[in-house]
Amino acid sequence: MKLLLCLILVLLLVPVQATLLPHLSVWNIKPDLGLVAAAFVGLFAGEMEGLLVGLAIGWVLNLFSAGELGLSLLTNGGVGLLAGFLGRQVSQVTSISVGVGLLAASLASGLLAAATSKNIDLAQVWQMVGAIVLPQACFDGLVGAGFYWLLSQRFQVARLRTE
Amino acid sequence: MWMANSRSSSGARRLAFACFALLLAALFLFPGQIQGLLQYLGGPVGRVASIPLEVIASIDTGIANRWQQYVVLQGVWEENQQLRKDIEWLRGQNSQLRELAAATERLTALLQFKEQALPTMVAARVIGRDTTNRYQALILNKGESDGIKPDMGVITPAGVVGRIVKTTGASSVVLLVTDPNNAIAGLIQRTRDEGIVEGTQQGQAQLKYLPLLSTLRDGDRVVTSGLIGDFPRGLAIGTITHIDKQEGALFQSAELMPEVDVGRVEEVLVIQASYGQSTKAAGGVDLPGKP
Repeated sequence: MKLLLCLILVLLLVPVQATLLPHLSVWNIKPDLGLVAAAFVGLFAGEMEGLLVGLAIGWVLNLFSAGELGLSLLTNGGVGLLAGFLGRQVSQVTSISVGVGLLAASLASGLLAAATSKNIDLAQVWQMVGAIVLPQACFDGLVGAGFYWLLSQRFQVARLRTE
Repeated sequence: MWMANSRSSSGARRLAFACFALLLAALFLFPGQIQGLLQYLGGPVGRVASIPLEVIASIDTGIANRWQQYVVLQGVWEENQQLRKDIEWLRGQNSQLRELAAATERLTALLQFKEQALPTMVAARVIGRDTTNRYQALILNKGESDGIKPDMGVITPAGVVGRIVKTTGASSVVLLVTDPNNAIAGLIQRTRDEGIVEGTQQGQAQLKYLPLLSTLRDGDRVVTSGLIGDFPRGLAIGTITHIDKQEGALFQSAELMPEVDVGRVEEVLVIQASYGQSTKAAGGVDLPGKP
């Protein structure tokens, strides 16, 4: 059942990210739902699940992107793993802490991608950071915080995390 | 305040960290092999993942079409679409005719005109955009099973769109001409100077490495040179809007306005075989006719 849910999540993320989100983009920036999903799976299901689902999301989403595979695997898998670890260490998780965490994770992944970009010079890297990485990190943080807030309004998130 | 959960056993936790460390090490030690393996396994996975993508893209296109046809401006929209198609077709024809005229002049002088085969192309529909914000790319609904391979050129009747960078069984990814990671050999149609067309972060393109003595000017049209890659010679890339000539530099460069509005592309043609290599493959079509 858990496997089926994860499979559906991974398969549904592709059309949502590639087809629907471009309509909702702000200044041509759309949130990275793969990263957000990996973080939530890690937070609610644990490190191992976060890592595996993050890796699967990174791999499948990368099949529909011009980017390099390794980076996508590492960032999504790493965020799932880290979210699982932090979710166990932090006693009280709030929508703000989820938002800040996702902002930091997205910023780190974006900076890593910008730093490892080929064929672009340093000026273009900084331009990329200002125009894409920072706004996307804010967007990801906002989406994550909003989603966690919605979940906390509808469900007992404390129970979800301890089950 | 509530206590932190303890759902993951320490064994599973250690295993997760070990797996991640192993993956990191493998990616650093054997990047090519790991990527190749995952890309190979991605063929059938991509085919499965393409199904919901195609379904949602069809619904999305259907809703967009209904909205534009029946809610906004029914008659005007259809007429506008037809006119746009006509303009694109005429632009493409114009560019090709200019190129043909220039080529004819040179070839006539040599008296060695030789009939060339037309490129074989396959039509594809755009079903999505790059899943990240870092690349300017499109997702097409045709892949390896339709004979599409990386590095093939992608065009519309108006001009160059980009080139294929990745394929799965039933889909492929096109890196747009406006992406900074893309490079296409270009030629100024009037002066015959060659350079490299690259994208910019602003979503435009630039023609680089032009000789300092080139007499290019604003409004000059840039076409594919046909020397590198899978693009035949003479396909429109863009029009020069600004020339950048710096003192002491070895080359000059120019900003381009791409001929194709890459933000509105819905259908494209993938060049499977360039001039001289045309093999009428099953499903392939020759140069596009008037829409």
